[in-house]
Parts: sequence; C-alpha cells; structure tokens
Amino acid sequence: MRVWLGFCGLLLAANVCAAEGNARFDWLKTIAFAGHQTDYSGVFVYQYGNHVETSRITHVVETDSEYEKLESLDGPKREIIRHHGQVWCYKNHKMVQVDSHQGQVRFPLLLTDQLSALSENYRVSEAGIERVAGYDTQVVLFQPRDNLRYAQKIWVHTDSGLLLKSAVLNDKMKIVEQYAFTQLKMGPGVDRSWIASSATTAFLGKGKGKDRPARNKVAATVNSGWVVDALPSGFKKTMEVIRPMKGKHAPVTQLVFSDGLSAISVFIEPADGDEDDVEGLSSRGAVNLYHKVVDKHLFNVVGEVPPRTVMQVLNSVRYNGK
Amino acid sequence: MMKHEISALMDGELFEDEAEIMFDQLKQDPDAHRDWAVYHLIGDVLRQPEYVHRDISAAVSECLLNEPTVLAPRSHAIKQKARVFALSAAASVLAVGVVAWMSLQISPEAAPQMAMQQPDVRPVNLQIQPKSNDYLMAHQEFSPSNDMNGGASYMRTVTYNPGEKSQ
Repeated sequence: MRVWLGFCGLLLAANVCAAEGNARFDWLKTIAFAGHQTDYSGVFVYQYGNHVETSRITHVVETDSEYEKLESLDGPKREIIRHHGQVWCYKNHKMVQVDSHQGQVRFPLLLTDQLSALSENYRVSEAGIERVAGYDTQVVLFQPRDNLRYAQKIWVHTDSGLLLKSAVLNDKMKIVEQYAFTQLKMGPGVDRSWIASSATTAFLGKGKGKDRPARNKVAATVNSGWVVDALPSGFKKTMEVIRPMKGKHAPVTQLVFSDGLSAISVFIEPADGDEDDVEGLSSRGAVNLYHKVVDKHLFNVVGEVPPRTVMQVLNSVRYNGK
Repeated sequence: MMKHEISALMDGELFEDEAEIMFDQLKQDPDAHRDWAVYHLIGDVLRQPEYVHRDISAAVSECLLNEPTVLAPRSHAIKQKARVFALSAAASVLAVGVVAWMSLQISPEAAPQMAMQQPDVRPVNLQIQPKSNDYLMAHQEFSPSNDMNGGASYMRTVTYNPGEKSQ
C-alpha cells in the first residue's frame, strides 16, 4: 500500500514533466515504472494471425522484490514465474529454471541515450483517449522512420500508468500481434497467497541457494569478437554474453542490440550438422527468427523486427577478432 | 488415209468391227500409235483441261541415266534436323516455365509450395519451431518489451499451436 501511494506521487511528477515538454517518450518511463511498482492481476488476450490465447498475469511487490506469475488459461498448462531476475517455467508437468543472466534489479532499463535514439528513429504521437478493460487509457503511437522496425501502439492507463493494451503494426499499419487486458484488478486486493504456497517456495528456495553462484560462473559478459556491420540505425549493443543453453553441447555467444523499443539477439554457436539448421526464416507474432549456417557456425537472429531486418543483421555478422 | 481412220476412231464414228481392226493396227504400227497419242494431245489442249496427258517417261529415264550418283552421307540435313528439335525442346521448356511463372502469379498458395520444395530456404509464414523456444526465451529477458508489457510478453516464449506437438 505504501509503495502504491508512493508510486502515485511519482507518476504525478512524471505526468507534470510530460506536460511541460514535448517528451512523449515519458510514457515509456511511466509504463516501465508502473509495471514494476504496481500490484495487479488480470486476464489478457494475446493474438497474432489466427492465433488467440488467453492468460492470467499476477504481479505483486514484496519488501524484497517483485513476484510475477503468468499462467496460460487455454490449451496445456504453462506457467512462468519471475522473481529477483530469475525465471521459472512450468511446462509438460514440470517446473524448470530458465538460464537467466540479467541483473537482479534492472529498473530503470530505459536509459537516457536510448530515449534520444528513440526520437531519432520513431515519430511519437498521442492518439486520443480510449477505454480498455473498463479503464480510460491514453493512446500513444510510435511510428518508425524507416521500414526496418515495426510501429507500436500502446494504451496506457491514465491513472496508474499501467500498459493495458499494446499492438505491433507493420509498414502497412496492419496488426502483427497484440496484447490486451480484458479484466484487471489493481492495488491491495491482489492475491499474493501463491507466493507463500509450498510449490512456489520449493523452487524459489532452490534458486536462492547454491544454484545461482554456480550459474554466474558459467555465464560471463565478454568481448566475443563477433560484430554486426549492418545494424539498423539507433540499435546499440546492450549485452554480450557466452551462455550455456539447454540441449547444446557448446556454449552459445549472445549479442543483444536495442533501439529502446525493440531488440535483436544474435546467437552464435558451432554448427552440429543438423540439416534443419542450414537456412530458414520463421515467425511468431512480432518475433522473427532467421537462422543460417556459415563456415561451420550456426547463426540465429531473433527480434521483434520485420523479417528483412533479422536477415540483414545475420548476413552482416562478421568475426572481427578479439 | 490412216490419219482419217484414227480421227474417225477417236470420234466414235467407226463400227465395232472396224474399230477392232484399227486397234490391232495401232498396236502394230508405231507411227500410227504416235499419231493416236498426238491427236489425243491436240484434243486435250483444245478442250483446255486442268492437266495435259504427256508421256515423259522416256525423257525422265534418259535424264536419270545422265545424273551422277552421290555416295557421301547427308550430314548437313541431319544437323539441321537436330537443331530444329533442340529449338522446339527449348520452346517447350520455355512454355512450361511461362506456365509455371503464370501459376505463381495467379495462385498465392503456389509460392510457399515452391519454396517448400527447396530444402534450405523456408517461407516466411512458417511458425517458429518449438525447438527454437530457448532462443526466444534467451532473447526475451533482454528485450525492452519486458518493460513495456511486463511478463505478458513472455507469453511468446511458451505459446503453443493446437496442431503442433508441444516440446
């Protein structure tokens, strides 16, 4: 409750700031802040193409950190729990910890230089007030200045700053994918009993124990020597790690680039001769994946960017030496 | 005298027994036989028929005797024939190509099907395979969409297709 009130004060300050300048990008700071500091629980719909999926998300802030639970309501039971920068995934009747390498506290992620890069690559406009899940929202549209990234439209709850709906649009302004809350509850009434439940504490306790230092040993931020020559403008490297990955016998190098609104990951590993890996382009909603084997290395490029962008990035990856 | 009788025979003015005698004489007398042929030719020309009977067999036989015999193989003719065949084959291939191209232009489903036949390049409408979920998960934790959508964007990493075997 204290956090909630404190957040409202900060939000008010953020809104005053936005009103003073033409900094419409402050909406991004607002939703990032609200998303981390608000207790909320609701049902949302995720849709792309002919695919529609309903899920429930619960996010609570405890004294130590945030807890977040994402459960699928359609199809086979799938669940993701995030806490302290760690990710657990329940799938096929078992809970497994996902190899995770992000810092424990990532807020605020949106850096000042990323915000300036945003204004160079997107035109931002406020597009009126609309109602989503029974709440009034401010609509904000980010239109890219080139065709190497998608447009994004967000619906921000005017009172709390929570993102209630978001849509990714292509260059013909057709929806590529969208998330929308259909029901949402905020504030102190949100259920938090699941945090203390035996199932949750069992794997959270395991994660807090000896596992974490061991994992930090095998994953390291490095200068791998790999570079991308043809990045779209505004994309800056935010991460470069060598990480173990499930089912891979050799560590995988991952480079992450972001323009502040979307990100592109480049994965590099030794090719294992699987014919499926030779070359291919596939997609899931706004995420496109292009993979290719070049000189006995398997490259996978993943990002919330159009197909041409992941292809352009992969085809310009080069080993520059350390 | 003979000529009058030949002419009378041709005009059908002789009695049957007289005509029999005339035919026997014509067979035995080459000059009379030649006159018979010439009179018929004159008559044919006068009536302006579409073709004129003329015995050219002797003249053709004489020409053939003077013609030299060619024993060399007719290579030039064969080569030309082969070239004609090659050209017609090329035209057929082109026609198939044009038809294939036209069908690609006409039916939107044809393009992915053609692309599917190539093992290495896959069409863009292919769904990300479950085996690539780990890449999506690894990407997701560094994506700004985490701050935008919160954990909701993780739905991408565990989404399923009813027709697809979950992994």
